[in-house]
Amino acid sequence: MVKTKTKIEEEIQAIFNSDKPWVTIVWDDPVNLMTYVTYVFMELFGYSKERATELMLKVHNDGKAIVSTGSREEMEHDVARLHEFGLWATLQRGDQGI
Amino acid sequence: MSEESGFTRHGNNAFVAQFSESEREVLINLAGQIIELLSERSDHSDEDPLAAMVGITTHDSPPEDEVLLRLLPNAYADGVDAAEFRRYTESVLRNKKKAHAMSMRVLLKSAQDGSIELDHDNANAWLGAINDIRLALGVRLNVEERSHDELELLAPDDPLRGVYAVYSWLGWLQESLLQALMDDSPNEVN
Repeated sequence: MVKTKTKIEEEIQAIFNSDKPWVTIVWDDPVNLMTYVTYVFMELFGYSKERATELMLKVHNDGKAIVSTGSREEMEHDVARLHEFGLWATLQRGDQGI
Repeated sequence: MSEESGFTRHGNNAFVAQFSESEREVLINLAGQIIELLSERSDHSDEDPLAAMVGITTHDSPPEDEVLLRLLPNAYADGVDAAEFRRYTESVLRNKKKAHAMSMRVLLKSAQDGSIELDHDNANAWLGAINDIRLALGVRLNVEERSHDELELLAPDDPLRGVYAVYSWLGWLQESLLQALMDDSPNEVN
């Protein structure tokens, strides 16, 4: 992916700020079936059924949940895959608070 | 819509369903509409052809159409970051979603007796395609605002009643495929 200079600088900074990783957030949606959201978490992240169900319930009950953490690039990849399967996902810095 | 059982698992990697002629037609038609919708946005006359070939567009604003916006949502709350991400990824996302719908459409078109057998990969494509159709219908039905009971009680002459019937049936069909897939899923031993 071609990046502007500021983006590259941001990335380098992010690498050194490993205590402040990026996060992928999935937001509640009235359309997606609970079973479907659980299945997508299992398929995309390799989570166990228990962990995936727990995350799905958090999305459902709290309106949102952090489903993965890592570098900005990794989170962009996760968000793109979640969008492919119709989940409503965004990414942001982990220290921004959700 | 039907009394059938939806998808059932056959062996390790086969998920089978039997569709009636009207169900098959509805699915073929809806998949076609999603493909068409995702192919829209022909205002690309100023596009750099080389950039377009590798999936980069000059276009970075979110879709104006409410359904398209739900299918192609912003990845960042911040507008500038969202626009940059969209420039590099939106056309790839459109193509992946189109591929899901096409996979469903092609299989249904070739299965003239309505008998469908999916492997795991095909099943995932179908799940994605069915979900995109439900998201699109959900926007039209305004499920964000309307309660389930309200939708159940739509008047018989309300055109949305038929849309809601299809939306509900697709949810049931998707659920049956999910149950078949998660039955003995290898992920459970993680």
